[in-house]
Amino acid sequence: MKMLHYWLEFEESMGKVWDRYLNKKVHKFHEEQIVYFEDISKSLHIFHRLIGGEKAKELKITDKRYVETTRTLLEKLSFLGKEFYLTWQDEEAVYLPASFAYFATKEQNEMLYYWLVALAAQVENINNRNLIEQNLQALHYLTKRYSGFDLFYKEATQYLIDKYEQLSFLKSLDAQSNQDLINAYPNPLWIYPPSITVNYANNSEEAEQVEPTREDSDKSEELQMKKQTEQIDDKHETDGFLAFLPESLMSIFEQVNVDRCEDDSFDEDALYHAEDLDEITIGQKQANLSARIKMDLELLPDTTVIYPLGKGHYLDEWDYKKNDYLVKYARILPQVTMNVLPIELPKRLKKTVKHIQAELDMLQLDRIKNDRLPYGDELNMDSWIEYMSHQNKSMHHQNFYTTYEKKTRDMSTLILADISLSTEGGITQEVRIIDIIKDSLMVFSEALEKLEDKFAIYTFSSLQNKKVYFNIIKNFKDRYDALIRGRIDSIKPQYYTRMGAAIRESITILDKQQSANKLLLIISDGKPNDEDRYDGRYGIEDTKKALQEAKKKGITPFCITIDLDAKEYLNYLFGANGYAIVRDGQKLPKVLTEVYINLTK
Amino acid sequence: MMSHTYYLPQSNEVELFQAAAGMNLPVLIKGPTGCGKTRFIEAMGEELGRDVYTVVCHDDLSAADLVGRHLIDENGTYWQDGPLTKAVRNGGICYIDEIIEARKDTTVVLHSLADYRRILPIDRTGEVIEAHPDFMLVVSYNPGYQNVLKGMKPSTKQRFISLSFDYPKPDIEKEVLINESGVDAQTAQKLVDIASEIRQLDDTDIQEAVSTRLLIYAGKLIVKGFDPYQACMHTIVESLSDEDDVLSVLEKLIALHFTKGKDA
Repeated sequence: MKMLHYWLEFEESMGKVWDRYLNKKVHKFHEEQIVYFEDISKSLHIFHRLIGGEKAKELKITDKRYVETTRTLLEKLSFLGKEFYLTWQDEEAVYLPASFAYFATKEQNEMLYYWLVALAAQVENINNRNLIEQNLQALHYLTKRYSGFDLFYKEATQYLIDKYEQLSFLKSLDAQSNQDLINAYPNPLWIYPPSITVNYANNSEEAEQVEPTREDSDKSEELQMKKQTEQIDDKHETDGFLAFLPESLMSIFEQVNVDRCEDDSFDEDALYHAEDLDEITIGQKQANLSARIKMDLELLPDTTVIYPLGKGHYLDEWDYKKNDYLVKYARILPQVTMNVLPIELPKRLKKTVKHIQAELDMLQLDRIKNDRLPYGDELNMDSWIEYMSHQNKSMHHQNFYTTYEKKTRDMSTLILADISLSTEGGITQEVRIIDIIKDSLMVFSEALEKLEDKFAIYTFSSLQNKKVYFNIIKNFKDRYDALIRGRIDSIKPQYYTRMGAAIRESITILDKQQSANKLLLIISDGKPNDEDRYDGRYGIEDTKKALQEAKKKGITPFCITIDLDAKEYLNYLFGANGYAIVRDGQKLPKVLTEVYINLTK
Repeated sequence: MMSHTYYLPQSNEVELFQAAAGMNLPVLIKGPTGCGKTRFIEAMGEELGRDVYTVVCHDDLSAADLVGRHLIDENGTYWQDGPLTKAVRNGGICYIDEIIEARKDTTVVLHSLADYRRILPIDRTGEVIEAHPDFMLVVSYNPGYQNVLKGMKPSTKQRFISLSFDYPKPDIEKEVLINESGVDAQTAQKLVDIASEIRQLDDTDIQEAVSTRLLIYAGKLIVKGFDPYQACMHTIVESLSDEDDVLSVLEKLIALHFTKGKDA
């Protein structure tokens, strides 16, 4: 298999040498009018939802696929004409080619993407037997409903038939069988069956490689992702020798597991005792030398120290099966990261922060009207007339004035961020969820600082009920400064999500605040879960119970999540108006702040 | 009495409203912006032959703005009824729009009117007015705006018969469009198609979907002779979002329905 892979790579690089000459001769692509998927993927995503595609479905770049076609001699020489980027879809996603350059204008090449996305939303379960019917049915619907698509489809088909004689079968579709067309020269305007079925038909060796088995669907997802990187690299003319990335990815996962074992051997005697989490002012305590240095995955020297604050304390947990609390069951371990370098606001966030602060200026949220004052900026006619109309004036105070005061709002917000290992996952190839969460925390802090609202930030992760780590980023009393930014920057994903315990701890902290309005803002990327039975229903029921406790204390919980499949359990946990799903993770920093403003203005 | 205001029922709301009016029960209407809430009340007012007193709420709205206040002229102070008091005295529909925008303590004055008592006590004059038999209280709000600090008090909410409005079904919306703007059936169908697609997006992409009102605006511009593509851009697309990604997709959608520069 490895040899084959090498050979394919070799074949591909050899092909490149021929490309400049042969490609033009054979395919006549319009390279200067090329449109890349990456450049318009955001718009395509929105379009996909808008046109009626399943909302949880993603759009991804497809891999090359081998198709046994009859080729001209030139095509054979150039290795072209047997490997194609076909558009297809499965339960998870629609897979589109990384770029298009078939047509002579950028508009048309771009339109091809929109066309395929719309088509994919219309067809269902394309297989070897219904290829023609499904595509025709969908494209008739589209061309009838959208005059723009009608125009495009006619022009595009005509153009393709003129240019590629292999596509002449399009003129006589009635005479074709599905099976013939599976192996015919593929039509770029159609959706094709998933690769598994095609490969099955071809029975080629590649089938083994692509066909994902159920057990390692995760692995193949990573593989898919990596192959995308490869393809994007291709477009920048770099070398594509990344054939063994799946293995190296596995080794990262192994490292994570090792790291977790080490944490299990946590030396509890070395813990420093502290009584009350919220009262601790970090600067005054001395770092405990025996607190162990955490190894980082990246093997870079890292001087930050996780510093435990006390032996922890126990909280109840709700067991829905018993319909009762497990008393003092989950142990909260408050901790703080020491030796953090204070940092300035990263440059990449400056624009967003500026934008949001300008928005806040416009809202004038901090102007509060005070009525019935003995002196002030404006005369309140109402109070004056009311006074004048009274029979017995001397009985009443002469408080006729109104003042607009710049005053902080009576609002305390506690931000609770989930930093479980799942946040290590990628939103795009370069950006991990955890990076977005960090950025959001920084942008949000800047906004709250500007509003002069009181806020605190904590992160949490857990290893079963005995270890629920509750990291302090900022207490209500701490000033937001470069050190807090440093702490946000030092956040690393770890372990699992015992959400109920973390919420209960947050309730205790919020409960001590004097404000009239208390908001518990939870940032998460998925369901509550832990290594033990804290998974599925158990975790959700406990979290639900914790949220009810919060509401009883007059705290408003609100959840912002990046989990796309989240809708059902979130509705159950937070109620229809108690959460927001951020579909485009990259927008989280902006959305978080906007949601907050909306919630509290 | 002939109804002059055009209103096409979406389901059983007219019967419900009439029943509520007959039984002296207050009505709560919720629904997204521009789906016909206000129009419905106007039409019902004409249908029932009652005046409609409208109050649009904002967060500075005081109880005096509803109930009334003392004013001054050359003879000294005199009492001026607010819209609520007028409706209570003379009979009529008092329509309190966007009630959620008002502070909670303001809306408490409605409580005694919204249950079996049907009285309005005015503490400044010491008067207690018993509601006219034709008095009817109607409040509305848009549940789309999530807000921690606002929202109706459950004690206020639970005094009303609730009608939930949404954008009309496609065939009804089409008819409304033809009637209101005068566009031809084919264009109306396209506008409705566009709307139903935009409404597929949820609040993560746009704050609120395109309203029937905006579609009517688009229709009116088209009837005035504007290119349909241009008309839709200025009414539907630009009003919905300021974000470039969303704008470009919406523009694409319009271009697919109304091919640029060409007749639809």
